Amino acid sequence: MSLATRMIAVLTSVGLISGSFLAIVGQITKEKILFNKKHEIEMAALKVVPGAHSVKMIYENRDFAIFEDRDEAGHLVGYAIQAAGTGFQDKIVLEVGLDPTLSKVLALTIIEQKETPGLGAKITDEASFLRFWRNRDCRQELSLRKPPVSDPASLAPNEVNAITGATISSQAVLNIVNEAIKKVKQLQSEGKLLSKE
Amino acid sequence: MAQKTIKSEFFKGIWSDNPVTRQLLGLCSVLAVSNAVINGVAMGLAVTFVLVFSSLIVSVIRKIVPNQVRIASFIVIIATFVTIADRVLAAYFPQLSKAMGPYVPLIVVNCIILGRAEAFASKNKVGRSIIDALGMSCGYILTLLLMGFIRELLGNRSILGYQILGKWFEPWVVMLLPPGAFIMLGLIIALFNLIENKIKEKQKLR
Repeated sequence: MSLATRMIAVLTSVGLISGSFLAIVGQITKEKILFNKKHEIEMAALKVVPGAHSVKMIYENRDFAIFEDRDEAGHLVGYAIQAAGTGFQDKIVLEVGLDPTLSKVLALTIIEQKETPGLGAKITDEASFLRFWRNRDCRQELSLRKPPVSDPASLAPNEVNAITGATISSQAVLNIVNEAIKKVKQLQSEGKLLSKE
Repeated sequence: MAQKTIKSEFFKGIWSDNPVTRQLLGLCSVLAVSNAVINGVAMGLAVTFVLVFSSLIVSVIRKIVPNQVRIASFIVIIATFVTIADRVLAAYFPQLSKAMGPYVPLIVVNCIILGRAEAFASKNKVGRSIIDALGMSCGYILTLLLMGFIRELLGNRSILGYQILGKWFEPWVVMLLPPGAFIMLGLIIALFNLIENKIKEKQKLR
C-alpha cells in the first residue's frame, strides 16, 4: 500500500470508529441530559412558590418562561417566572416566585451564573442574599438597599439587600427581576396569563 | 532508552515527571478548577479516563498509523473520549458538569494528554502506556487535590463543602480568584523544587 492510501485509510477508519462511538453515547445520554435540564427548572419553579405541589409551563418566549404553581387541591398558589439577563461576567438565569395577584415576590432562586467566586457568586447564597428576597412587595419597582442590613425585617417592603463588594451583581439580579415582573404584568393585562387547557 | 521498572514508570508521574509541577502541562485546567476540592476530584477523574483510554488506543495502533498523520489521529481519538466523558457527566452528574463549565470539553487541548500520547504511548507497549497514563493521572489528581484543599480552606473556610474553620477566620476571597490560583501554583512548584533539591544534596553527600 502506498503511503498516501495508508494515510487516508487510517484517518478514515479512525474518524469512522470515533464517529460511531459518539453516535451511540449521544443516543444513550441525550434523553437523560434533556430530562436533567427540564427537571432542574421545574424543581426551581416549585421551590420559589411555597406550598406548590405541581407546576405547568403556561408561557415561553426564549429565555423567558412562566410557570403556574398549584397546591395539592389544585388551587393556584402563585407563578414562577424564569428570566435571564446580563450579570457582571456572563448571563444570569434565575427564577422568581410571585403570588397569584402579582403583588408580592415570594422567593428567588438562581439557576445559572458565572459571577466572581466569593463576591458576586454570593447571589446564590441563602444566608447573605436570597433570604432577603422573601415576601417583597412588588406593586412598585423593587429597589436595592445599600449598604446592606443584617435583618430582613429592617428593609422597606419593596427593598432587597445588596451584597457588599458586589453591587453590580446584585443590581443585575434586581434588574432582571424588575424587568420580568413588568413583562408578566403586561402579559396579564393582555389576558395572556391564563392556563392553556 | 533503558527499560525502567513498572514501579518507577508509575511513580515518575507522581514525583519526578509530575505533569503539573515538573512538566508544567495542563496548567489552564489546574488553575481554573482547583478552587474547590470536589471540582479537582471530578476534573482529575475525567482526565484520568481520557488519558488512560487514549493512551491505550494510541499504543494499540502505534504501528499502523503513518507518522505524517499521527497528531491528527491522536487528536480525534482524544476528542472522542473527551466528548464521551462530557456527555456522561452532563447526563449523570449534572451538578458537577455545571461546576466544571467549559473545562471538560477543553481536556481535548490539555497538553498532558497529547503530550503523553506523543511522547510515550506512541513509542511504548500497551501495558507500559497504561501504567504511564495512570501515574500521570495520579500526579495530576494529587496536585489538584493539594491546591483545591488549600484554596477551598483559605478562601471558603471549608473542605468538600463542610465548614472547617469557624467564623473567627476571615476568608481570603483572593484564594478563590485567578490570582490565588497563580500564587498557590507558584508556591507548590517552589515547594516541590525545594524538596527535590534537598533530596539531591543528600544523595551527593553519600
